[in-house]
Amino acid sequence: MNHVLNITATNTPAVVERLLQVTRYRGYELAGLQLTPRHDAKSLNITLTVSGDKPIHLLTSQLHKLYDVQQLELAGSELAVLSA
Amino acid sequence: MKGAELVLQVLQQHGVDTIFGYPGGAIMPIYDALYQSDVKHYLCRHEQGGAFSAIGYARASGKVGVCMATSGPGATNLITSLADAMLDSVPVVAITGQVSQAVMGTDAFQEIDVLGLSLAVTKHSFMVRSVAELAATLHEAFAIAQSGRPGPVLVDIPKDVQLAEIAYQAEHAKASKAASVHTSLANAGKARALIAAAQKPMAYIGGGVHMAGAMSQLQQFLTANPMPSVTTLKAMGSVAKDNAHYLGMLGMHGTQAANLAVQQCDLLICLGARFDDRVTGNLQKFAPHAKVIHVDIDPAEINKVRFAHVALLGDMKQILPAISAGTNCADWLAQCAQLKQQYGWRYDHPGERIYAPLMLKQLSERMPDNSVVCCDVGQHQMWVAQHMRFSSPRNHLSSGGLGTMGFGLPAAIGAKLARPQDTVITVSGDGSFMMNVQELATIKRFRLPVKIVIVDNQRLGMVKQWQQLFFNERYSETDLSDNPDFVALAAAFAIPGHCITRKDEVESALEAMFTWPGPYLLHVCIDDKDNVWPLVPPGAANEEMITEAKA
Repeated sequence: MNHVLNITATNTPAVVERLLQVTRYRGYELAGLQLTPRHDAKSLNITLTVSGDKPIHLLTSQLHKLYDVQQLELAGSELAVLSA
Repeated sequence: MKGAELVLQVLQQHGVDTIFGYPGGAIMPIYDALYQSDVKHYLCRHEQGGAFSAIGYARASGKVGVCMATSGPGATNLITSLADAMLDSVPVVAITGQVSQAVMGTDAFQEIDVLGLSLAVTKHSFMVRSVAELAATLHEAFAIAQSGRPGPVLVDIPKDVQLAEIAYQAEHAKASKAASVHTSLANAGKARALIAAAQKPMAYIGGGVHMAGAMSQLQQFLTANPMPSVTTLKAMGSVAKDNAHYLGMLGMHGTQAANLAVQQCDLLICLGARFDDRVTGNLQKFAPHAKVIHVDIDPAEINKVRFAHVALLGDMKQILPAISAGTNCADWLAQCAQLKQQYGWRYDHPGERIYAPLMLKQLSERMPDNSVVCCDVGQHQMWVAQHMRFSSPRNHLSSGGLGTMGFGLPAAIGAKLARPQDTVITVSGDGSFMMNVQELATIKRFRLPVKIVIVDNQRLGMVKQWQQLFFNERYSETDLSDNPDFVALAAAFAIPGHCITRKDEVESALEAMFTWPGPYLLHVCIDDKDNVWPLVPPGAANEEMITEAKA
């Protein structure tokens, strides 16, 4: 199942590698990647599409922890939102 | 001043007076600045050892550990230790030199992509591109290492940045502090309801409790809500020694009472732990009757491997009092007390050879209060966890998540420097000891009175045990009967030692070790046939423990 993640991240040299490393390590496949610098070039708008059989919250909760990730929204598939 | 001097100023702003490292080409400007600095540098003999010392320092003290290495091989040698810190959530800042930016990306001498290497083994990492951002980056590194769930942070600093001039006044710069933790008590009522209704509650305590500084809140919680408790390897020492309901470590080599009770409980209160596979055994069969309350600082641990009926995120110090509801489970407490009694350790080992569990119990009883014990990895590590008692998790440093052989000796160096007044003991195996044996030179150089106990079965014992049980006794590459003479080896580093082989030698040998004012190596020879029991075999549920009698 494909999941589309809309991410705003600080534009640091390794930020895309970090996203992809976590995606791969946590067991999801990359199905699409788009990135555009925001106006000030300090941040990036990233659309990350991943596929995987595991619940997507297992990935989003790990991506959220990346220091460069400012915002992360799941668009286009269900997300088991933590009630905590 | 130069960037290199700024690095040391920022370290001092963060209260760092002790660092571990090894010089080399790309970090020479920082070592030059060290030459006249008040920051005390401890020269390790391998960067992995230096970073383990930083981890030992951090874990024994609760402060941030700092280590340094040069580019290329210096930095790659740090990787294992950073991974260890990552998996055990240890706050470490690693500073690496990098080749100058002018040659970066050309496969220059001792150049490797350290930022790239760091991604999987750090909480975060930085490459500093300009001296103007150096101070802010270092402040951020300290803040990230300590914030939330702690972890290692790497700062890679090119040589030209170290050499660049900058006007910097430390007093004007504000050292950023660890970010405060957002705590939600929204689910506290649900947790209290579950606790009040439980007939068989169980506290499953992990390293997150003491790392949150919530030791006293834990004791209050266990007093106000009497229930049996178990701990993970990292949390040994969390439960007060006089708590009668404590059942010991759970999991693969946990106590039978702990494992059997957890399997029967109807409410599992997981406090700062993460349902690691060495804890749960077969996950589907783990605590099958239990509802779960999961308290953690890391949202990613909630529902990662085990569904939590109620989750509370944030500061353990605030959450524990908020979920106190009172328990009423006298029958269950009696049942667990019965299990504890029935499955207590036995030390009536026949023969005159040394029985490691008994020797470690004797060591535990004889060591001064508040001693720090640093383990390596393998059979001796599990025996330490089973047979020694600790008054705080800061007194038991063991590589848990990564299970890194070679951890113990350098971690003990760091622990001794963090807590010079306390006795520090390394308990190592003959396999693990050789993995960072070069750090004996560090002990010699700084005359560190670290006590070293080598439990020697002339085998890679834990692997041998698995070969015996699960690989048809095909002992592939686990025979170490050609070990060096460990006492002679220690003597080469001016460390006295003694070798014992018989039970009746243990007490006097321990006495001699503790009486000797300096470092000391006690070589304890044991039978290679002794194994760690009980053992939950791979894929089995935790109640399906193999014991010595059954094996």
